[in-house]
Amino acid sequence: MTGFSVILRKDLRLELRSGESTIALVALSLLILVVLVFALDPVGGVRDAATAAGALWVAMIFAGMIGSTRALLAERDNGCLRALIASPLDRGALYLAKLAAAFIFMAIAEAAAIVLMVLFFNLDFDSRLLRLLPIIGLGALGFSALSTLLAAISGRLRAGDLLLPLLAVPMFVPALIAGVKASGAALTGASFGASAQWLKILIAFDVIFLTSGYLLFEHVIGED
Amino acid sequence: MNQRLNLALGALTALLMLGAIYMVFMFVPTEADQGIVQRIFYFHVPCAWVAFAAFGLVAICGIFYLWLGQDIWDDLGYAAAEIGMVFCTLVLVTGSIWAKPIWGTWWTWDSRLTTTLILWLLYGGYLMLRAMADDTPQVARFAAVVGIVAAVDVPVVVVSVRLWRTIHPAVLVTRQGGHGLEDPRMVATLLVALAAFTALFVWLLILRFATLRMRTRIMTLARDLNLAHAAAGDLCCTISTTSSPLTLSSLR
Amino acid sequence: MEPALIEARGLDIAFGAIPILRGVNLAVPAASVALIVGRNGAGKSTLVRLLAGLSAPTAGEASLFGAPSRTLDSAARRRLSIVTHQSFLYPNLTARENLEFYADLYRVADGRAEIPRWLERVGLTSAAHARVRTFSRGMEQRLTLARAMLTRPEVLLMDEPFAALDADGVGLVADLLCEAVARRCAIVLTAHQPITIDGLEFDLYEIVRGRLRPMHGRAIGASAPRAIGGVGR
Repeated sequence: MTGFSVILRKDLRLELRSGESTIALVALSLLILVVLVFALDPVGGVRDAATAAGALWVAMIFAGMIGSTRALLAERDNGCLRALIASPLDRGALYLAKLAAAFIFMAIAEAAAIVLMVLFFNLDFDSRLLRLLPIIGLGALGFSALSTLLAAISGRLRAGDLLLPLLAVPMFVPALIAGVKASGAALTGASFGASAQWLKILIAFDVIFLTSGYLLFEHVIGED
Repeated sequence: MNQRLNLALGALTALLMLGAIYMVFMFVPTEADQGIVQRIFYFHVPCAWVAFAAFGLVAICGIFYLWLGQDIWDDLGYAAAEIGMVFCTLVLVTGSIWAKPIWGTWWTWDSRLTTTLILWLLYGGYLMLRAMADDTPQVARFAAVVGIVAAVDVPVVVVSVRLWRTIHPAVLVTRQGGHGLEDPRMVATLLVALAAFTALFVWLLILRFATLRMRTRIMTLARDLNLAHAAAGDLCCTISTTSSPLTLSSLR
Repeated sequence: MEPALIEARGLDIAFGAIPILRGVNLAVPAASVALIVGRNGAGKSTLVRLLAGLSAPTAGEASLFGAPSRTLDSAARRRLSIVTHQSFLYPNLTARENLEFYADLYRVADGRAEIPRWLERVGLTSAAHARVRTFSRGMEQRLTLARAMLTRPEVLLMDEPFAALDADGVGLVADLLCEAVARRCAIVLTAHQPITIDGLEFDLYEIVRGRLRPMHGRAIGASAPRAIGGVGR
């Protein structure tokens, strides 16, 4: 069994046992969508795909930041992170495992958010939603890669929870732009070809941040 | 820093700046469409060049720090980020000043200004990280990593924002300028301004870098002094340097 | 002379401008135990962290298995176990699950099969399926010992393992140490004051003013029935 799977299985088991992170994230997504409906007041009756897509991605970002912080927080108790560093575990494997955990948290929150989005923004439950899934998936993957790396830093600092959004959000902008545009297009029934350029940006973003995160994680996860 | 170097760089910068100012206000012809306000372009563009270049420097210093582990790269990166932030702010401010009379709004979401805004936010995040350092010893490494990742992000930001704006040119006017300078005098002025601002950046960078180096040296000296005290059997007398000036405390 | 498995050469470490350890030299060969004694704040925990490669020294080098601690490869880290004040246990996992986790992480051959035996060894069989969150301090300590020994380390670094243990617990640690030495493990222990354990020879050191010095009066056990004594100062 590889180090990656050992860590991931342990994290999933812990989460299944307490469920606190997932439930909180789903609730958070719900709240954010409600707030956005009040704030943006989408024209009732008209299917407002563009606004819906935007709201979905806002919820994703907030869920993502909390998800990745929680994924790393699991190692705070009893110095377990130190144990992992001293163990034969490969640093890159630890990064990927934490990334996977954050991604799973985000995916669950996003699934709930998509359902709520359809309800709140007067859309339809139809095949267009299926086209939405890979786009959301790419976005969540990119954000997980980015925020797992940054959360390792912010988790060590005094007011780190303030710092994480300050760092993560500007860095995520390219994926945010591309993701919202592609999502909006998918919701209006456009084919993937129409959004090709946006998808390319999303994929490039994911590749860049997965690679950088994997290579740089060992520098932020160590001790003094 | 070396007094001679300081003087030389200062003099060079002053010279180039005076030259640039003269050229911008006396030499270069007024642009046909935009009028006098367009002259701010000759300050705006060099500031942008410096802001982006400084960011690249931060990333390069980050790479060297992670690779070689020498404090000097950390200090240089920090200095570059601080100075770069100033120039980045100037880009946004001059952009605003330019936009208002031309298009009637204080801000336009055209691709270049938007990208610069994101850069400004990235700078801000980096400096916030530094500010939250306290006594965490790993901050240098964290900053290096953030600098590298942010710099890697910038090209993607440029591409995505550009695509964003070309698909939605409608409401907000895209700013012309930066290319298509017909008159050779305009090109010359721009080049001189570029040189002047680059010189200014280098001078400020070296000044700030020297200050940071001094701080690192003081820390090392204080530690060596403490070691000497301790070796002399007097571990009770310690000099501590946190972010405040040196304090000597005697405990018995 | 055996090659040293645990080594420190000219180790210096300072927190900011305040030196903690200066010029520490240490060599611990296989099948031997170094007991390092010092007051609170003397630098014992810091030294253990340096030896483990968790902290970087400001000068000098710490090495394990002949390689620098700071850059140990995965294979070397497999042969190392650390015990500190922190238990390294996941509160929401059961005792058994914690041990399984570490057995898998360290890729211990037949690790999972040995877990029941270890639980019995440390007297936690009845608590095997209880979450560590419900454990008392003493139970946590015992489980940590099982965690550390389960991976069959060749180097053992233990920071104040005797603190907060009752007589039975101390006896357990003593037994485990003897077994480890018999397996030719190299061990570094820290404590507040010197300790004697029958059947175990320590190389005694103390940290004074940041320097590591051999302490006189090496503790050698008598042939009396197993007894632990603390030598007062």
